[in-house]
Order: sequence, then C-alpha cells, then structure tokens
Amino acid sequence: MSDMRTPLAKVRGLGSAKDGTDTFWRQRLTAIANIPLLLFFVGLLIALNGAGYDEVRATLGNPFVSLVLVLVLVSGLVHMRIGMKEIIEDYIHDEGIKIALVVLNTFFAFAIGVACVFALLKIAFGG
Amino acid sequence: MVELALPKNSKIKEGKTWPKPDGATNVREFRIYRWSPDDDDNPRVDTYYVDMDDCGPMVLDALLWIKNRVDPTLTLRRSCREGICGSCAMNIDGTNTLACTKGMDEIDGGVKVYPLPHMPVVKDLVPDLTVPYAQLTSVEPWLKTVSPEPAKEWRQSHEDRQKLDGLYECILCFCCQTSCPSYWWNGERYLGPAVLLQAYRWLIDSRDEATGERLDNLEDPFRLYRCHTIMNCTQACPKGLNPAKAIAEIKKMMVERRV
Amino acid sequence: MSNSTATRPGMRQRPLSPHLQVYRLIPTMVMSIVHRITGAALYVGTLLVAWWLIAAATSESYFEFVNGLYGSWFGRLVLFGYTWALLHHMLGGLRHLVWDTGTAMGKETSTKLAWATIAGSVTLTVLVWIAGYMARGG
Repeated sequence: MSDMRTPLAKVRGLGSAKDGTDTFWRQRLTAIANIPLLLFFVGLLIALNGAGYDEVRATLGNPFVSLVLVLVLVSGLVHMRIGMKEIIEDYIHDEGIKIALVVLNTFFAFAIGVACVFALLKIAFGG
Repeated sequence: MVELALPKNSKIKEGKTWPKPDGATNVREFRIYRWSPDDDDNPRVDTYYVDMDDCGPMVLDALLWIKNRVDPTLTLRRSCREGICGSCAMNIDGTNTLACTKGMDEIDGGVKVYPLPHMPVVKDLVPDLTVPYAQLTSVEPWLKTVSPEPAKEWRQSHEDRQKLDGLYECILCFCCQTSCPSYWWNGERYLGPAVLLQAYRWLIDSRDEATGERLDNLEDPFRLYRCHTIMNCTQACPKGLNPAKAIAEIKKMMVERRV
Repeated sequence: MSNSTATRPGMRQRPLSPHLQVYRLIPTMVMSIVHRITGAALYVGTLLVAWWLIAAATSESYFEFVNGLYGSWFGRLVLFGYTWALLHHMLGGLRHLVWDTGTAMGKETSTKLAWATIAGSVTLTVLVWIAGYMARGG
C-alpha cells in the first residue's frame, strides 16, 4: 500500500491533543509527595520487622499510621498508574492492544487501592 | 510492540574485507555500514584499512581517503568539513557526531561507522531525513508577528538577544534527534530533541508574537511529553548545545501558563 | 513506517539503520533504563504490599503464613530487591525533579548525577536493611 500523504500531513497527523501538562504536573506532584510518604512506609516496615500479629494490627490500627498509609497508597498508585501509562504508550503501537492495556492499568491501580484501603479500614475499625 | 530488533531486510551481514594499503606501516581498521538500493542484498559491514601516515586526523578524512583510494562507491554526505553544515552526521564509535570534527585520536581501536540510528537508509551512510525536516516545518521556525511592520527592524534588547545563545547555533545535523530512544520508538509522533530545540528558539524570541499558539501546538502527550530526559541528545550534540535543557524549559513554560 | 516520499514506486524498501544494536551505553542512558525497570518492578510489587495488608486484616493464622513467606530467605531476597528498587527510583526521581527545573543538565554534571543515583541507592538499601536487623535482631 502506498501512502501518498505529504510528510507534513503525516507529521501534523490528528493535531495537538491540547493535553499532557496535567499528567506531567500530577506525576511531579505525586513524586514530591511520595518522598516523605514512602520514607514513612519504609520506616514503619523497619519498626515492624519481626513483630507478631497483635503488634502489627495495633500499629496499623493507630489512626495516624492508618491515615498516612492511605495517603501513601493514593499518591503512590496515582504516580504508578501514570508511569505505566507512559511505558505502554512508548512501546505498544497497536491501537487496540494499547487501549486495552491502558484500561487494565487503571483497573489494576484501583483494585490494589481499594483492597489495601479496605484492609486498613477493617483493621482500624476492628473486625 | 515496538521492534527492538532490526527488521528482516535490515539485519546486518558481514561484508567484504578490503586489502591493506601497500607498504603502509601505520594502518587503522575501519568497519563501515554499507547498503545499496541497486542490488538485493541486506546491509553489510565492510572492513577497510587506512594508511594513517597518508591521511588527515579526522574521521571524515579517513572516509574520503577510502573513497578516493580504495572504494569509490562508498557513499556519504559531506560539505564544509568544519562542523558548520551538519552534512556528515553519522554514528561513529557508538555515538552520533560529525565525521569532520571527530578526531581519530579520540577513538580506541578500530573505527565503527554507521548511519544515524533508526532511520531509513538511502545508501550507505546517507539516511533519509524527510520526516525530521517535515517535523521542523511543523513548528514553523520563523518569526511570526501581527503588529504593523516597524519602519526598520523588530527591536530586541541585549538581554533578550542573549536568550537565543545556545539555540541559534544548531546546525540541524540531527545527531541529537536520532540519538534519542524515545524518538526511535515514537518518531512519527514525538517531535524529537532537534525540532524541540528549534521550537524553543522561537518560543523565547522576544520579538515573536505567537508564543501561545506555539505552546498550544506542542501541548501533546506525544509531540512534547515523549521526552523522558534520557539525556542522549545533550551527550551527543557535536556543537555542545543542550536540547534536553531546551525541552525542560518548554515544559516549564507549559506549567507556568496554567499555575 | 519507513516509507517516505523519497521512495520511488517499485524501488526496494529501505532498510532501517541500526540503533540499540550499535549505540554506546552511557551512564545517563543506563540510569534512565534502570529508572523505568525499577518503576515497573514497584508496580508489580504493590501486590506484595496488598497481600500483606489483606493478610493482617484477615486472621492471625493467615497473617503468620504470609509473614513467614516474606521472612524466608527467598522472601527476604525479594524484599531486599524491592527496597533497592524503591530507593533507586526515589533517587532517580529526585534527579528528574532537579532536571525539571532546568538545572544540572550539562554533559558532565548529568553523568555525575547518574553515577550518584546508583551509588546512593545501593548504599541506602544496605543502610535500611542494617537498620531493620538492628531494630529486632532479625
């Protein structure tokens, strides 16, 4: 098949999406938030190394720990979802597969987030 | 999936080894990419030997020595031989640079020469630059104004003129453009470092009156934001310019106009 | 997509010039690749975090089971790798935040930052694990 469009027509393609800076900005925002949040998470895991069931539950059930962990999850998962979308867009050129993966990526991030937050709430509010 | 390997018709085969020059004592090995549209063969790498006592110091000198003394079919672009025209851009010793300003003393062992990476090859070391040129056209690299033409020239303060330093020197050799993995994988949609540096050159020109439209044109997940600051562009630029920084400045302008 | 208008009908398809196959790996490029790989590893690793939290919310016996797996030599190896991926990605991200301001982007400076990222991440990972063992003595 010969493509007789001019090179400029191909380069201009469907035009500018007028979008991209929002994603770029959100990725930086969550990156900054992730630094203290994930350092807290690493510190928490160091503190809980070798701890038993009751101690882990008591720590995770502490309102402060619980709240910060929710923030860790939200910021981390938003950041992660954007990052994976970039990877998909870089390497997957088949439009169908690309859209499927972008959708699955969002589902994965939400599933992890909901599961973790539910677990934290259950521990925090007893049950 | 993006193809990390070369397509079947592009796989490189071992080529011919040309004889060493008679009586030469100081010989340097050159491994050079060859492909011709006139036969049905795949690309190959030929081995040549250059008499260093009979040759100038730059890689371009050696390539022309080979073309004049050994194999007149070796095809390459060159013009000014002093780093100002950008014609002899190619991949030498694993890095994109200009053959005319790359000294052979900077390279250890045999010298490997390939065309600019991930481009369609016209012949031997000559890549097809149609797409990057069209991309350059798409950013409209000229002064755009709507105000009435001044009687003499569009005026610019000394400070504003200085903002163009490090940008206007670009010779469009596309060493940076074709060094960028993001451009390799998304060259049809990502504008690439050379074109974005040109875009920035007009974005910060104080005389230009189309800054907003120019930014609108770049506000796109692919055109601008495929840049992941891999930094190959800046490492490669034979003129010592910094395309990665120019792109970072464009992103800053994008953020600035909305926060 | 390598067709261009310069190709005449009936002419042979032009080959694609080599890229990854011939491009010399330089520190900044390698750190960019590692940043991406560690990011992807952290993505998959969120499953480990989720599993651990769910286990803690489920029951004592299930928690002991999961905690036991994580505490085995293999589990510790994976967690050690996960710690490194996290700290490496964090330092790489800091480097990107600096670059986003348009500073430290020169050839030499960016190369130094690339080396600093890997040196820093390995050092920090070891320190974190020493701290972890000191907290409880393993």
